[in-house]
Amino acid sequence: MDALPLKDILFYITAIIMVAGALLTVTVKNVLHSAIALIGTFFSSAVLYFLLHAEFVGVAQVMVYIGGVVVFIVLAILLTSHLGEEALEASKRRKIIAAFFALLISVLAVMLLREISSVTPTETEDFASLASIGKRLLSTEDTGFILPFEAISLLLLISLIGAITIAYIPKEDKPAGDK
Amino acid sequence: MTLQACLLLAFLLFAIGIYGMLTRRNAIAILISMELMLNAANINFIAFAHYKAVDATAGAVFAIFAIAATACEMAIALAIAIIVYRRHGFLDVDQLTELRDPDV
Repeated sequence: MDALPLKDILFYITAIIMVAGALLTVTVKNVLHSAIALIGTFFSSAVLYFLLHAEFVGVAQVMVYIGGVVVFIVLAILLTSHLGEEALEASKRRKIIAAFFALLISVLAVMLLREISSVTPTETEDFASLASIGKRLLSTEDTGFILPFEAISLLLLISLIGAITIAYIPKEDKPAGDK
Repeated sequence: MTLQACLLLAFLLFAIGIYGMLTRRNAIAILISMELMLNAANINFIAFAHYKAVDATAGAVFAIFAIAATACEMAIALAIAIIVYRRHGFLDVDQLTELRDPDV
């Protein structure tokens, strides 16, 4: 038997880490631990993006998800939990139903994937390279993405202002003991 | 490493996310499961861009927009989680029934 190419070995290692991290994320009792398991999943999917030659998306994954979203989540968990709180557990019945749906989706996935014919990678010269992404994002031609780019910037600004407005406590309704 | 393997991985992540979403009772844990599902969608974008796309850069740009939209959504969702905790002192979705019609 031929030795597997390095890329395949890396892919399988990444896939195993990703699935294990995801399983840990949904099964550990402590929410903080599941946020930390989520870092493993995000990091291994960043590695997968690198394997698929999407370097910029991989870097964005690490910066936005691990550097931003997970930090958000950890801060929110720390702000919303108190010591000695027992972890919330779902009933056994609900767990069985959820596992059934998850299995159903996996079975459907396997059935669907058998229909897809095997393809070889396109391997274009500048596949999703930093330069081509930068040019496309800010190009005003027909194939450019300047309009969605500006729209998403506006969306980010609006949602950040919205988040601050939602979580802001007006001075007069501050709970007692809160300085 | 084939297209099927990448898609299968994404489907598995999505199924795990569904399981987490249905079994968790803490609102933030449900958001975490949702992140897993969104991540699965992103993996699909990149896998199809790599294996099948005529225009692969557009596939990567799509994934970037999806990442930005996720960041927005998390900011709002966590702000809501914090204000709910401030008001009720818990984040158990089984007990958060303010918006439910009491007659039903």
